[in-house]
Amino acid sequence: MTGIALETGALGKRYGRTWALRGCTLHLPAGQIAGLVGPNGAGKSTLLHLAVGLLRPDEGKVRIFGQDPRTAVLTDIGFVAQETPLYRDFTATELITLGGKLNQRWDVELARSRLAQLGIPADRPVGKLSSGQRAQVALALALAKRPRLLLLDEPAAALDPLARREFLQTLMGAVGDTGATVLLSSHLMADLERVCDYLIVLQTGHVQLAGAVDDLLAEHRTLVGPRTASGALPGGAQVIRASHTDRQSTLLARIARPIENPAWAQHEVTLEDLVLAYLAAADTPTAPTCMGK
Amino acid sequence: MIEFVLDGRSKGATYTQLVLQVKQALRVGLAQPGDQLPKVRDVAQTLAINPNTVLKAYRVLEIEGLAEGRPGVGTFLVGTLAGPSLANQAELREQLVAWLHKAQVAGLAPEDITALIDTTVRATLDSPAVKHIL
Amino acid sequence: MIWLTWRQHRKQALVTVIALAALAAVTVPTGVAMHRTFTDSGLAACLDKLGTSTLTSMDACVTLGQKFDNQYQGMTYVGILFVFLPLLVGMFFGAPLFAREFEHGTHRLIWTQGVTRLRWALVTFGLVGTFVTVLAVVYALGVSWWFAPLAAAGGGRLSYTAFDIQGIAPIGYSLFALALGIFAGTVCRKVLPAMGVTLAGYALVRILIETLARPRYLAPRTLSVPITSNQQFNTLSGDWIYSQGVINANGKLVVPNTTYTCGAPPGSAHASHGAASCGSNLVQQGLGPAPFKNWIQYQPADRFWAFQTIETVAFLALAALLLYLAVRRLRLIA
Repeated sequence: MTGIALETGALGKRYGRTWALRGCTLHLPAGQIAGLVGPNGAGKSTLLHLAVGLLRPDEGKVRIFGQDPRTAVLTDIGFVAQETPLYRDFTATELITLGGKLNQRWDVELARSRLAQLGIPADRPVGKLSSGQRAQVALALALAKRPRLLLLDEPAAALDPLARREFLQTLMGAVGDTGATVLLSSHLMADLERVCDYLIVLQTGHVQLAGAVDDLLAEHRTLVGPRTASGALPGGAQVIRASHTDRQSTLLARIARPIENPAWAQHEVTLEDLVLAYLAAADTPTAPTCMGK
Repeated sequence: MIEFVLDGRSKGATYTQLVLQVKQALRVGLAQPGDQLPKVRDVAQTLAINPNTVLKAYRVLEIEGLAEGRPGVGTFLVGTLAGPSLANQAELREQLVAWLHKAQVAGLAPEDITALIDTTVRATLDSPAVKHIL
Repeated sequence: MIWLTWRQHRKQALVTVIALAALAAVTVPTGVAMHRTFTDSGLAACLDKLGTSTLTSMDACVTLGQKFDNQYQGMTYVGILFVFLPLLVGMFFGAPLFAREFEHGTHRLIWTQGVTRLRWALVTFGLVGTFVTVLAVVYALGVSWWFAPLAAAGGGRLSYTAFDIQGIAPIGYSLFALALGIFAGTVCRKVLPAMGVTLAGYALVRILIETLARPRYLAPRTLSVPITSNQQFNTLSGDWIYSQGVINANGKLVVPNTTYTCGAPPGSAHASHGAASCGSNLVQQGLGPAPFKNWIQYQPADRFWAFQTIETVAFLALAALLLYLAVRRLRLIA
């Protein structure tokens, strides 16, 4: 599967006078599993709601496989909202029936067999299931649409570690089956490091960082060396975050090519280091401008 | 069939871990040419990792000539790492044990020995010429 | 879509039908009893003879009517309870209809399936609205029948409680309450506050319309009769009397809320006597020049259906407006 699954251009949404999201320009290639990270209120849910057509943009545009989500492509999007809302007095079977009535493309067998494999009782009201089982039901409903793009809004946030792992397992198995593109918001960096090959960092409504995880990790290094003023690095390196002691500077930098100055010790960064550096950098006035701003 | 595990504390990329596990299995004879590697989807589900990561690991194995994708069937092992080294291992091990005794006699603590081995391995093996056997 | 609405509200619908059945179990026997007494006591025949003219020279029915009223006084209060039924529709059908979805976040489940939220809203409202309309028609027909003797024996169908629970107006009230509840749900997005807003809004609108708008639907009629006439205002005509009193020769209302009769009761042998002295004490009280007349301002009973139509249309229009606003608000919700 090729092409762009999700594309936004200077996308903005405001509530009253506050911009929840602004100047958001992104291209999520199809076939990726993208993690959407950022503190609470950074605009993660707003971006997902815009992508699934629940919200209409105040400026800019959002396209799913080249189309406006508010018109045509809902059949191609599977969405699991925050806290995985379901009609609690419905049984899983009834929810599957419901999906069948509301969607043109609906794989009843897929949904049923998924739940059966997980041992989730199909004839109990879902309100009486565990939160992990409910999340699985919500995921099964989203997958039954056989979507090309899955949007998940902190689906695992409320789950215990075991249920969370099981949820991710189901999700990854399903992606392995279908090759769907996934955009998943989460606070749990460990989960994201495990599953994501694309990363989007949001802060106060702006995109701080976006790109393929391998590229991002290859482009960033932690550099430890003699105390230096920020910005005085060789080779066009861009300092994202710096801390200094009397004689030593520790920098997280985006490097264009390997730094060959032996005075600097280079260390590879983890995804978590990277995210934290960009989030911390955004709090300071010298923050790097975000994409498309 | 190989069952993959993930070392959460390893700093290495996930796909590298998978590649190394296949090689390790080949080396010690747990896996043999002709064996089928687990399906991408199953590995992704079991380990809760991105299927693309598994694909990437399998691609690396294919490039190194250790595995071969058969469309619609799966990925199979074709190469082997066990042959030449297994025979040598006993002898090499004896030499290593003898060396370790020498180190102990010279007054090195176990931490010193590990550090010495680590730095030496890095200095000696981390050159392009020998990298492929890792 | 239809399946979803039915599945979501079937329990509620069942409870409502059971409640209505229970209500019918009370009202049918009492209604039959009232109708029987109404006929057997001769009140029905008396009222037939009396007719609906505003002036009358007989008061034989008044006593019968009072007797009937005394016997079934409790039922008048039951009738007042019926006034509140449409409000229950608004609070328990309307307010939770969308607010519960927002409160539980399930709108995000439903609006991201293959059906637009407009279609979802219209189908949901259409089905629940149809159900409520059927309920309201049953209610209006039943209560009209049940309350008819009480209205006839009392202040007529245009009087406050009677007008509110008879005819077609209850259908308008019910749909208005439903739309108000739905609109409140899209504003509050939580069930309990939406119910509270519905309660307050419904009471406010009903009170405003009853006190300010309804008396002005059509211009009232006035009638004045010399105090010396042996004719009285017919209190059982079913007219809706705004005010009455005594006016002097200049047309000025000098004694409000009272009518006078002069001399002997009408129809007696002495009816014509004392006519000359009639009103002389009013002159002495300095209330202006004679002759004095009894005066009445009223809406005739035969305007009942005109009033019902105006009121129903007004509430249906309000319901449509609220529904439109609710649908507009839906677009802002995510």
